[in-house]
Amino acid sequence: MKRMSTVRVLAATTVAAASLITMAATSTAGASSGGLAKGAPVNIGISLSLSGDFSADGQAFQRGYQLWAKEQNAHGGLLGHKINLIIKSDASSPTQVVTNYQDLISQDHVQLVFGPFSSLLTVPAGQTAERYGYAMVEGAGGAPSVFQAHLKNVFDVSLPVANDLMPFATWISSLPKGQRPTSAYYVTSNDPFTEPQLPVAQKIMSKAGIKSLGFTVFPAEVTDYTSIADKVAAAKAQVVVLGSVDVPTVSAFMQAFEQAHYNPKAFIATAGPDQGAAFLTAVGAKNANGIMVPNAWYGGSANPLSKAMVAAYIKQYGGTPADINSDVAEAYSVGEVMTQAVEATHGFNNAKILAYLHSGKVLSSVQGPVKFNNLGENVDPTAFTFQWQGTKFVQVNPVGDPNSVKVIYPKPAWKS
Amino acid sequence: MRHWSRAAWALGLAALALFPVVVTNPAYTTIGVFTLIYMACATSWNMFSGYTGYIALGSAVSYGVGAYTMALVSIHANMAPGASMFWLVPLGGLLATLVALPIGAIALRVRRHTFVVITIAIFFVFQLTAINVGFTGSTSGLILPFISWNESYYNLPFYYVGLSLVIFATILSAVVRRSRFGLQMLAIRDDEDRALGLGVRTTAVKLTGFALAQFTIGMAGALYAMFVGQIFPQFVFDPLFDVSIALMAFLGGLGTLVGPLLGALILESFQQWLTLSFSNSSLYLILFGALFLVVILFMPQGIVVFVRDRVTRRSAREKAAVAAAETTLAGSGA
Amino acid sequence: MSGSALTYAIVDGVLTGSVYALMATGLTLIFGVMDIINIAQGIFVVLGAYLSYAIQLHWGIDPFVGLLITIPTLFVVGIVVERGFMSRLKGPEKTAMSILVTYAVSLLIEGSLNMIFSVNDVQINAWYVNRSFKLFGVYFAYIYVFGFILAVVLLTALWVLLYRTRFGASVRASLADQTAAALIGINVKRVATICFGIGTAVTAAGGMVFGATNAFNASSSYDLISRLLTIIVLGGMGSLGGALVASIGMVMLEDVVGVVWSPIWSTMTFFIVLVIVLSLRPQGLFGKQLARTA
Repeated sequence: MKRMSTVRVLAATTVAAASLITMAATSTAGASSGGLAKGAPVNIGISLSLSGDFSADGQAFQRGYQLWAKEQNAHGGLLGHKINLIIKSDASSPTQVVTNYQDLISQDHVQLVFGPFSSLLTVPAGQTAERYGYAMVEGAGGAPSVFQAHLKNVFDVSLPVANDLMPFATWISSLPKGQRPTSAYYVTSNDPFTEPQLPVAQKIMSKAGIKSLGFTVFPAEVTDYTSIADKVAAAKAQVVVLGSVDVPTVSAFMQAFEQAHYNPKAFIATAGPDQGAAFLTAVGAKNANGIMVPNAWYGGSANPLSKAMVAAYIKQYGGTPADINSDVAEAYSVGEVMTQAVEATHGFNNAKILAYLHSGKVLSSVQGPVKFNNLGENVDPTAFTFQWQGTKFVQVNPVGDPNSVKVIYPKPAWKS
Repeated sequence: MRHWSRAAWALGLAALALFPVVVTNPAYTTIGVFTLIYMACATSWNMFSGYTGYIALGSAVSYGVGAYTMALVSIHANMAPGASMFWLVPLGGLLATLVALPIGAIALRVRRHTFVVITIAIFFVFQLTAINVGFTGSTSGLILPFISWNESYYNLPFYYVGLSLVIFATILSAVVRRSRFGLQMLAIRDDEDRALGLGVRTTAVKLTGFALAQFTIGMAGALYAMFVGQIFPQFVFDPLFDVSIALMAFLGGLGTLVGPLLGALILESFQQWLTLSFSNSSLYLILFGALFLVVILFMPQGIVVFVRDRVTRRSAREKAAVAAAETTLAGSGA
Repeated sequence: MSGSALTYAIVDGVLTGSVYALMATGLTLIFGVMDIINIAQGIFVVLGAYLSYAIQLHWGIDPFVGLLITIPTLFVVGIVVERGFMSRLKGPEKTAMSILVTYAVSLLIEGSLNMIFSVNDVQINAWYVNRSFKLFGVYFAYIYVFGFILAVVLLTALWVLLYRTRFGASVRASLADQTAAALIGINVKRVATICFGIGTAVTAAGGMVFGATNAFNASSSYDLISRLLTIIVLGGMGSLGGALVASIGMVMLEDVVGVVWSPIWSTMTFFIVLVIVLSLRPQGLFGKQLARTA
């Protein structure tokens, strides 16, 4: 009797499961053609990490994409078609990101796709898009590992991260002898975004006679930074170069430095201070004074495109230019680059868009000029260094650039 | 009775085999590939943990070893991207088994509660090693040779290789269950000291079962790496991997043959679908947690046992009712 | 490598370790009395941190004073979770099932916290968070010292409760042998419920200090629970003293390895130590010898 029942259960559930799955999936795949019916909206598919590890950045990216779509729609959309963004969340998981792009392309029949957040998800996403022949313009997959995949359809509108720290290193090495710091400490998270950046800076600074007191790598998943920060503080270097990916890391180091009564003459972190209001909330507005961060864009940029975006952002979300997360500009630039490609090729044909993006034309974006090499890296942008001066976030490097203001150096004392 | 059972298995197999023919949307066949990978892993995990009662939470080591075997060999042997890479799938399984032998020898020195924790600790040692040494690509991960098959049929080979893994794991699990070796594992689950007293060489049995279970999981990891195209330490040595497969086995019915298959089928497809549909808020975490809670609290022994009990009880009740009715009828007729 | 860095590593180990001890004690108490592995302990810590953060933000209450609100709140949360879910678990698979149930509970709370507070990291701020004082040539951060004092006070209170009261006697009897405790007339069920409440309540204090020393969001719970679990296993599951020693020992080991060698290897060193200890002493450093095989 018992055996019989097991069989029934098995049969019933298998049939039920099979039919459920069959019902759930009805439509068939079909690649989109270049043509789009008059008046039909143009659908753009995006997978973003709205929950999970990368969710803070993912949500800032979402605001950037949405802001671009809204602004572009106010100016007639793309070739007269209203832009409709279809955003799915990948929960920061590479398996979900694959499913999402497949679903977007084959089920939602999107005409175009934009990239996800994070270098970790860009390759699986880009490979999926490549198999469909879709171009993937993205703003956050700038780690060297992304370009090593040699995908022919991935284009990163942002600055390749490896050279981010160059303006800072060049500036500090060029200071007159009396002011130039004599020692530096390099400490970085074990992460594909941060680790390649520090040796570039170290090389330049060592050449100028700034002694390296240490180069420490800490695991990315660490939660308690106190002992690492205390070790850095104990070395008493005059400059600290921190390879960080997020706000909590920078905030923990700042806190530990202050507790150890250690105030370096210059403190730069690769990411975190560029997160606008989110950074100020975490570290306290007064304590941010003098902290530096390398990037390609900031809210006070003189670029007219950027000014328009900043105005639109403040109109929608409130706040000041310094509050805007640089992720917003990266996402917005993706939209702008795609707009120019679509308009130049007069349609939504991905093959033509790919050819256009590979043509080496210089395009414009809120982050400045964009020109892709054959790997899809943006070779045109200039790296800048930004600094918190009070509650203002300003450009300080390169020195001599008309928009750079004077660096606050040495860094003021901690004030919390 | 027996041919009913066979018919049910055949039907299930046919449904899985025909799925990508009926449903051609790659988003759903991708969910299918991941589901099959988890079905194979949950079944294989159950073959050791379900049979012996030793809950292992470090199987991600085998999954990761399989994935890195696929990635490192295909990259360093300069393999042409394509179907020939499938030959590395069994190699991944083999290496996972070899790696499992010393791990098992250390971890199986202790009894159940401590075993769970040792497997977790060993898992973290592997994950951290993969993150911190050079040849694994460290945190930048490894990029496999890019397979440029058209997306409309890209999933199919992976789907059917995945299905073969499921069939392999299920047959192996069934054969082991019926063998003397399987009975010895069950004896260990029921009372290890007595099994030892009865002459079962418990350590050898446990170690063999543990290593054997890692073979399919290693193959699944290799298949995953080839399918996704890029691997990172934190995604192939994923602590949630073990939570998932253990959950699947519990949900379906620990120690049963069909339980883990069913659990993985339901849970993995449901979870992916939930993320796909409710992804724009944290609502999906709440939905998943709530559903999960309801299932565990109301079906603590898993779906298979729960449904079987219901069916048995109902048929018993029906029989009693029929008997009662017959008595009444007989009474009134008289 | 300077001597002062090593001094800092040791001081940090003691100060931070004591706070982990507080959180781990709750976890090990719950396991000892109920055979339940509470995966939700990590998210309870985060919940405690968010509560302190919220009452400071909205009512301007100092986080330490706010503990008078948050500790009872989490005590009630613990009672509700225990009565609602944990008390339903029975049978030989109870421990394994408890992992699954508490994991589900933590998903529910994580999702809710994400919806209420968003995923942006926050940190609890007060005058003592970033300041420090100098003693014997070493800087001591107020927050860590306050956290240490808080942990010592609460652990002492817990010790008094367990070793100097009638209720404590029933708890210890249940820790030693649940069946025997029930036989001598102890209401093991009631003891279990209250212990779960206490085990959860201490996370309010641990969470407050965690939230003041780290920027956090709901997903911080994953790192926390994996640390706490390994701590109580190393100390011996169900052993209160073991949790204390293992917490301080672990944090100190990680800090010292991080300073002397490299932070990359500190976590790994800890896990290797754990594997070695457990292979030699399966019951952990201070665990009772397991008579049962299950």
